[in-house]
Amino acid sequence: MLDVSLLVQMLLGALLALAVYLPLRAGQLSLATPGFYAIGGTVAALLSTRAPALAGDGELYPLSSVLLELLLALLLAGALALVIGGPVLRLQGIYLAIATIALVEILRVLLLNSSWFGGAVGIFAIPQPFDGPEGYLGAYGLLLALVCWGCHWLEQQPLGRAMAAIRDDELAARCMGVDTDRVKLLAFLFSALVAAAAGVLAAHYFNSWNARQASFDASITSLAFVVLGGSRTWLGPVLGGLLLTALPELLRPVGDLRLIVFGLVILLGPVLIPQGLIPRGLINPKRP
Amino acid sequence: MEVLAQLLINGLSVGAVYALFALGYTLVFSVLGVINFAHGALFTLGAYLTYLLLGGAVGSNGALAGLQLPLALPLWAALPLAGLGTAAASLVVEAVAFRPLRRRGAEPLLYLITSLGAGVILVNLIQLLMGAEAYALPGQLLGALPAVLALGDGLQIRTVQLLLLLVAALVMLLLSLWLNRSRAGKALQAVAEDATTARLLGINSGAMVQLAFALAGFLAGLAGGLVALSVSIAGPYFGISYGLKGLGVLVLGGLGSVPGAVLGGLIVGIAEACVPGNLSGYKDAVAFAFLFVVLLLRPQGLLGRRLVEKV
Repeated sequence: MLDVSLLVQMLLGALLALAVYLPLRAGQLSLATPGFYAIGGTVAALLSTRAPALAGDGELYPLSSVLLELLLALLLAGALALVIGGPVLRLQGIYLAIATIALVEILRVLLLNSSWFGGAVGIFAIPQPFDGPEGYLGAYGLLLALVCWGCHWLEQQPLGRAMAAIRDDELAARCMGVDTDRVKLLAFLFSALVAAAAGVLAAHYFNSWNARQASFDASITSLAFVVLGGSRTWLGPVLGGLLLTALPELLRPVGDLRLIVFGLVILLGPVLIPQGLIPRGLINPKRP
Repeated sequence: MEVLAQLLINGLSVGAVYALFALGYTLVFSVLGVINFAHGALFTLGAYLTYLLLGGAVGSNGALAGLQLPLALPLWAALPLAGLGTAAASLVVEAVAFRPLRRRGAEPLLYLITSLGAGVILVNLIQLLMGAEAYALPGQLLGALPAVLALGDGLQIRTVQLLLLLVAALVMLLLSLWLNRSRAGKALQAVAEDATTARLLGINSGAMVQLAFALAGFLAGLAGGLVALSVSIAGPYFGISYGLKGLGVLVLGGLGSVPGAVLGGLIVGIAEACVPGNLSGYKDAVAFAFLFVVLLLRPQGLLGRRLVEKV
């Protein structure tokens, strides 16, 4: 049941969960992740299908071109995150969540209606840098390991502690001299970069790309990954992303009931295990 | 001038539905301070219930294939009954997705997930039982009334639109009268203002939360039935886009503000009607673009109260 393509999607789920987790670590509920994911995917899809210079001579699409797409996608997503992050992050709580949902919806409508981006049908025949799903498994594994390492490192740094301080009490953190605007903006930026990188690989992996990738459902699903996995350490979202992406596939035998079971899991999860699968105490027993 | 008036008429009737929708969100938000993501699914349920109560048969793809009520109710009875059925479902959503968290004083974040879970279950149950096909409500519901009414000067309005506008206006009027004049309405407002103080004053805040959910469910069911009447049911997921737009309308008007929800709905409805035909693909972004600008300029919404950060 656990075939390679499912494993690839599980790793993708874990990456998207980390992208939601990063701003949440600084207490900011941003649901803009699918938007940046869509930007990454669109950049990759456009460059690899419209720029013949990148195609190379070999049978497979050159990895160096994928890296170039990655670089451009990160630059674009990062610049956009910095530009919109400033005004958007002034909003608090549910207002921020809804503003980011609005951003994702606006982006989706723009992608859907612009023929340059393939419109409603999307962009097809995106060239393959690997000759099988195993290659993507390696690439996603590497990216996930890198992001996990980054999150772990961040949690030890003053910046990571400042993020945790804002989460616990923004006003108190500001009184203690934390530049809350800057810290929140950085968390938002990191999130955008992770989502865009995941999107670049996803466009190649799925072989086609369309506006449906940026949807409200995707926003909330990745939030569910974080909440069920636990939002106190990076391991929680990773675990939540892996398990919850696999769940609907593993439930395939129950047929039509699988989405109902999925709904039950995300309904009962927060009620039964409010701290998520990985509460903070489990990882670092010294801290309460 | 006629063009403008016609746009206004079309916009008002769409906007009235958004307003009904946003009112449901706002009722729950004002008492609990959280957003009920199952609201779009309740709207869908209302549409399907209306269809069944009007004597519609279940299509061949659902588990209930061929099921049909023995009698077909007239529209004036089917709509409120569908609303009541949806209100009952809304109470179930409150009991499973909200009450356990409320008892524990959980983070608002968790409500988003549980209510979404309830919505996913509801939508997929509908799909399982009724199939994924589109349903159109029977055509002769309005009896002898013509399909389109001429208002003179070349202006016209579909009878369904007029009905929609009238029902929505009536419901909003009754709701605001009830909220401001009746004892229960005032108690609900007291809980919205401050649940703890309201409890100290002897108001049963748990019952008020249930009341808010029942009312919100009724409004969602009514809106669903009216939209089904106006544009037919596109499938079990058709409530989702309305749900999202309702969310935009809600914040545009100001979270927790009843007149704000109405104003927001009408603004978005009219603005969407003004999008020229060749750009109609962009119509769905109008509500969100408005929302985004308003959030940045006036974060509390058009008629919302300014948030004060408490220490």
